[in-house]
Amino acid sequence: MLKEFQRTGSDLFLTGLNSSHSGNLSVRFGDRILVTRRGSMLGHLEQRDLIETGLHKNDSKIILASTEIGVHRAIYKGTSALAIVHAHPVHATALSLQDNEIIPIDSEGAYLLHKIPVLSAEHTIGSRELEERLPYLLREYKVVMVRGHGSFAVGQVLEEAYQYTSSLENVCRIVWLTRVLKGDVEKNSEKYKNW
Amino acid sequence: MAYCGWYGKTLRVNLKSRAVFEEQIGQDILTGWLGGRGLGACIVDAEVPARCDALGPENKLVFASGPLTGMNIPGVSRFSASAKSPLTGTLIDSNAGGTWGLMLKRSGYDALIVEGESSEPVYLKIDDGHAEICPAGDLWGKDTKQSSVMIQKSLGRGSSVASIGPAGENLVKYASIIIDGSHALGRGGLGAVMGAKKLKAVAVRGSKKVKAADPEKLEFYVYEAVKWLKANPITSQGLPEFGTAVLVNLFNEMGVFPARNFQSSQFPGARGISGEAISETLTPMRRGCYRCPVKCKRLVKSKDGITRGPEYESVWALGPQCGIGSLDVIVAANNLCNLMGIDTISTGVTIGCAMELEEKGLFQTGLRFGDEEGLLRVIAQIAYREGTGSLMAEGSRYLAEKCGAPSLAMQVKGLELPAYDPRGLQGMGLSFATSNRGGCHMRAYMAGPEALGVPKMVDRFSTGGKAGLVITQQNINAALDSLIVCRFINLAVTEEYFARIFSAATGFECQSQDLHHIGERIWNLERLYNLRAGLDSSFDTLPPRLLKEPVLHGPSRGVVVDLDPMMSEYYRFRGWSANGLPSSSKLKELSLEDALC
Repeated sequence: MLKEFQRTGSDLFLTGLNSSHSGNLSVRFGDRILVTRRGSMLGHLEQRDLIETGLHKNDSKIILASTEIGVHRAIYKGTSALAIVHAHPVHATALSLQDNEIIPIDSEGAYLLHKIPVLSAEHTIGSRELEERLPYLLREYKVVMVRGHGSFAVGQVLEEAYQYTSSLENVCRIVWLTRVLKGDVEKNSEKYKNW
Repeated sequence: MAYCGWYGKTLRVNLKSRAVFEEQIGQDILTGWLGGRGLGACIVDAEVPARCDALGPENKLVFASGPLTGMNIPGVSRFSASAKSPLTGTLIDSNAGGTWGLMLKRSGYDALIVEGESSEPVYLKIDDGHAEICPAGDLWGKDTKQSSVMIQKSLGRGSSVASIGPAGENLVKYASIIIDGSHALGRGGLGAVMGAKKLKAVAVRGSKKVKAADPEKLEFYVYEAVKWLKANPITSQGLPEFGTAVLVNLFNEMGVFPARNFQSSQFPGARGISGEAISETLTPMRRGCYRCPVKCKRLVKSKDGITRGPEYESVWALGPQCGIGSLDVIVAANNLCNLMGIDTISTGVTIGCAMELEEKGLFQTGLRFGDEEGLLRVIAQIAYREGTGSLMAEGSRYLAEKCGAPSLAMQVKGLELPAYDPRGLQGMGLSFATSNRGGCHMRAYMAGPEALGVPKMVDRFSTGGKAGLVITQQNINAALDSLIVCRFINLAVTEEYFARIFSAATGFECQSQDLHHIGERIWNLERLYNLRAGLDSSFDTLPPRLLKEPVLHGPSRGVVVDLDPMMSEYYRFRGWSANGLPSSSKLKELSLEDALC
């Protein structure tokens, strides 16, 4: 399991989807969660950075777990996800400050993600509000942006959640670039507004 | 400009002459030393001869609140007491939560200075600024809970009582002061200083409002700080759910949870005395300090009724340190220590030392590791100085020396070590060795970076760079102990926030770097006092066991504390000589030229 965390964490950092100490990863197995340590560097994960704690119940390890442990737990309880990637993709975060939803205009993004909801909350880090609202959205969408904060993506394995995160950032870069170019954009993607 | 947050007034009480009077404190003193530990150090340094008998009339006891105390800020309702320690001979301070500090502040004083000795038992009553020395003949001999209840009945609703128990009266060198039967000024024997003065208790009640300089800004900073407290799993989940004993399982698994007088660094029965076990078996009720959302304190149901739940350090000292794994016994022993008014850490470590001495045939008191009945029996004997308890009442250093085996005392500068085996936490080892008040974990809470990842996780077995880290933590914690900020709150809310909060509260502009500077000044003043008291660099060391005996089992197997390289780096980094003397240039930089050795 460490290798899977290391590979995903390293890729997230090297591709700029997270800064040195941002983001967190987890997987669920039964009623237990393996989550990255609070303040760990995803690009350089070691065994000590993987913290095992309960899905429903706290234990002493909770004080080492990621600040987003509450959100991870809520997502597992509210969805069928078995893995979660939380990242801080730059273009997606910037776009989330402008748009109320992100509509992919490229083929892969539209095919894979359809639409990415943008969730606003007063508190966005370790937030009870996100614990309540994110699982509902992640039942329907693979990845959700929290305005001005970052993305939460779910999958059956870490790689899948990482794929959605990576794709999200690509979607946002393309949207960004086309806006900069100020040209007409193919409108097929409009249908995804009602997705 | 007059700053908010301070009154600029102290109350001075002379127990011999019975004189009670107010004094002004200059603003430069208040902004330079802040309050709490810093203000206490400043006053003790100026007024208490460093070579005096700590249990004699020359010693003074300084109670001080902080500039933030009484404001709507989490984690700052604390207060501290300072004096020369009868246990260590150093300048000592200890701080506690509850509402006593709040009441002192609402009485209109930044500090209370108690001097002289009374010929008869007395207690001091401060009711909304009016102080009175009252007879305490009927309180003498009572435990801390009984005396608190009796005084509170007389003073009325809203009062808070800091009281000593039989241990303080009998001058046990590590007697504590217990606040309202619950919170403790635990370390260093401040209870014995009160006992020597025949001062049974200090009761306070006050109603003055404390104003902030910029309430709007303060409200915003507090809102931001509380956001972090709610987001951080330590303060939002771990401490609220399991109390400080949340650390038991974690540190035991890391192999830094000492047992049987530090003969091992893991305890097989740790799970049964952990925070999880306390939550599951003792159905604790959460309690907290004024305005604190964390509520890490516990009331638990035990055979003695509803009692205060043991903290992490107490669980360890009265449990694994003595080879005991029964939660019921630990709760009972903790309760007894609080009623008698003795520090749980020093009590447990001294008893564990006695157990090892007995094991080695060097002391005969019938105590063996794991002796549950013996533990409870000997706590009472210590408090009343009965039989061999009288020897143990002097502390582990004295006991081990008397038995011809000084190396078996797990202490630094006479203060018993807390629940961390520094062989698995090298920086903690350096912080123990260099601590101004002796073997203390709170001066530079190195469990933060070495075990909890606060502010960042560092290699706990490495010595490289630890000196700088320890110094930074010692300095900033000295300032935060003066504000006075709870260490647990500081795990989630950094000093940058508290610098802003302090500025908004008082109107005195301060950045986090200023707090570091103030903290360094406090640290050096304490050092100078200790040097004058005769504690030179030879006292900056650890028990030989930790330096020479490698851990036998577990994750810290084969390791000892590699102290020497860290120590020389530490002195250089501090701007001190190789003998640990602050240089004249450092003293000039800190405006401490007058506080000469």
